[in-house]
Amino acid sequence: MVGVMNIINQLPHRRMEAWKWTDVSRAVPEGMPGLSLAMAPRFTPPAGISVMQGEGATSDTVMGKLAANFAGQSWNFHVPANTHPADSLLIENLISGHGRITIKLEKGASLTVVEHHKGADKSFANIDMQIHLAEGAKLTRILVHDDPETATRISTASLTAEKDTKFEQYVLSFGGALFRLETRLYGKGEGIEAHMNGAYLLSGDKHTDMTSHTELSHPNCHIRQSVKGVVTDKARGVFQGKFHVEKEAQHTDAEMRHDALMLSDRAQIRSKPELEIYADDVACAHGNTIGALDESALFYMRQRGIPLAQAKALLTEAFLASVFDDMADEDMKASLMKQINQWLEASYGF
Amino acid sequence: MLDLSFLLFGRGNYQIDWNKIMLKINDLHAVVGEARSQILTGLSLKVPAGEVHAIMGPNGAGKSTLSYVLTGRDDYEVTEGTVELGGQNLLDMEPEERAASGLFLSFQYPLEIPGVPTMTFLKTALNAQRKARGEEEMGAPEFLKKARALAKELKIKPDMLKRPLNVGFSGGEKKRMEIFQMMMLEPSFIVMDETDSGLDVDALRIVADGVNSLRSPDRGMLIITHYQRLLDYITPDKVHVLAGGKIAASGDADFAKLLEKEGYDKYAA
Ligand SMILES: Nc1ncnc2c1ncn2[C@@H]1O[C@H](COP(=O)(O)OP(=O)(O)OP(=O)(O)O)[C@@H](O)[C@H]1O
Ligand SMILES: [Mg+2]
Repeated sequence: MVGVMNIINQLPHRRMEAWKWTDVSRAVPEGMPGLSLAMAPRFTPPAGISVMQGEGATSDTVMGKLAANFAGQSWNFHVPANTHPADSLLIENLISGHGRITIKLEKGASLTVVEHHKGADKSFANIDMQIHLAEGAKLTRILVHDDPETATRISTASLTAEKDTKFEQYVLSFGGALFRLETRLYGKGEGIEAHMNGAYLLSGDKHTDMTSHTELSHPNCHIRQSVKGVVTDKARGVFQGKFHVEKEAQHTDAEMRHDALMLSDRAQIRSKPELEIYADDVACAHGNTIGALDESALFYMRQRGIPLAQAKALLTEAFLASVFDDMADEDMKASLMKQINQWLEASYGF
Repeated sequence: MLDLSFLLFGRGNYQIDWNKIMLKINDLHAVVGEARSQILTGLSLKVPAGEVHAIMGPNGAGKSTLSYVLTGRDDYEVTEGTVELGGQNLLDMEPEERAASGLFLSFQYPLEIPGVPTMTFLKTALNAQRKARGEEEMGAPEFLKKARALAKELKIKPDMLKRPLNVGFSGGEKKRMEIFQMMMLEPSFIVMDETDSGLDVDALRIVADGVNSLRSPDRGMLIITHYQRLLDYITPDKVHVLAGGKIAASGDADFAKLLEKEGYDKYAA
């Protein structure tokens, strides 16, 4: 057990390369609620799938180790081979404290996980998720995050993916005092297909960091990643993405994009897309843009009678929509777009 | 002639004193851009309700500048003079307020609006205008019906209405879409900036028929063009030359033919 007093010293800080733009240690005052407690999540599993507490898989990240220290046992889910639960596994009440979740999909199984990350005032939350996808398994992960401006949260998911697995991830974050979403994908076989998309919409003093690390060591994997962000006021958006492609991972087709709209001079966007490629026959690309809304387009819309705020909202919504284009669940997609709309209405004021 | 009688329906019940609608520009001076180049240097012009006026003039004379000053674009700053539309001081109003009060500009270069389907865009615009005027919003069925009928008249393919506005449209398609928007929005004062440029003969005829159908005693129009061929279809009440930042000469419909033959040399500042 790590003592309560020195936990702050163990939190990641900006002198660590991977955390240089997201200094957890500085955002967390001593005695912050949740800092040394176990989390009490609420799970609604699909029929036939049950929650079990147990050892769970171990994590080698800083935050994962802290979770192991304070959360105690892991909440475990197991989807048997070739099972395809019709409903999603819903995870809520991730308010404060440390939590560990382990999800295992056996051969050919599939599962959709829907997570709602929403904290309380001045709370600290650290969730570590360990996921294993056996051959041919398919996981869809949908995560919605909306914290108060005073709450700090780190959510890490590490996946090991075997041959011919599919992973789809859609994240929508409205920020918190500090939010770090980290996705770590370790390819352990050929033919993995992963789509990892996310959008962050930040106003006020909020901060969202979307970091991902993808490691491929087998041929014929197909990765698509698109993160889009909108920052206003003094908000800060961070994107860090890395594709690590080993020599054996020939014919990898991987593309990473980060596109952000900066709607205020005081807002910040930091981004670091990285490709580390050792294979010689691959198609890997990354793109990164930071821009503003097109003034001419805005004028054109206003000339047609659309008020400025609404014109901005329409253009912003159109900019973000592609992130969720490929979602199979239309109701879920509509619900995410609705939340985006509500944010736009509140933030642009119309 | 097109049958556009369906446009007469659904105008709501708001009251406007149509006789007042008239554009009155007096001694307008405007500077443009960060360099604050003086483009308009004392332009005066009156367009009574029910009339169509054409503006011709050399490239770079300030015709588009005038259209942007009227519609309130940023970067186009009025340094002197007044502009009234239907008795209202236009220069005090935001672009969207000017639109809601009935001013429409058909852009020389219509903008592409990525990700916003044409129908969504137009319905948002129409209802924003109605809301600003205190009218009831138009419901989806009525809007769709009207849009479909009009698209058919203007020979606009239905699938174009689902595509993001103007994105990937050809030059002529964009111009036709401007007319489509104009006829859907039923503005009371219309400025058309080279709507005829880039149109083939058939499209020109369709556009002209559309414009003519909107001619009415309550509506004023300002048509900026370089070519007589549009004015063959839409006979203007007056033709003006914009040169050297002001109206340098005016005449009747035949004046345009003379200008096309002789050029603008003698009006150069
Ligand atoms: N944003 C700007 N900054 C500086 N100068 C500008 C700007 N916009 C227009 N101008 C200048 O103002 C002048 C008038 O331009 P405008 O587009 O109004 O001409 P026009 O009469 O419409 O010409 P055309 O017949 O070619 O369409 C030109 O010299 C142009 O270069
Ligand atoms: Mg022009």
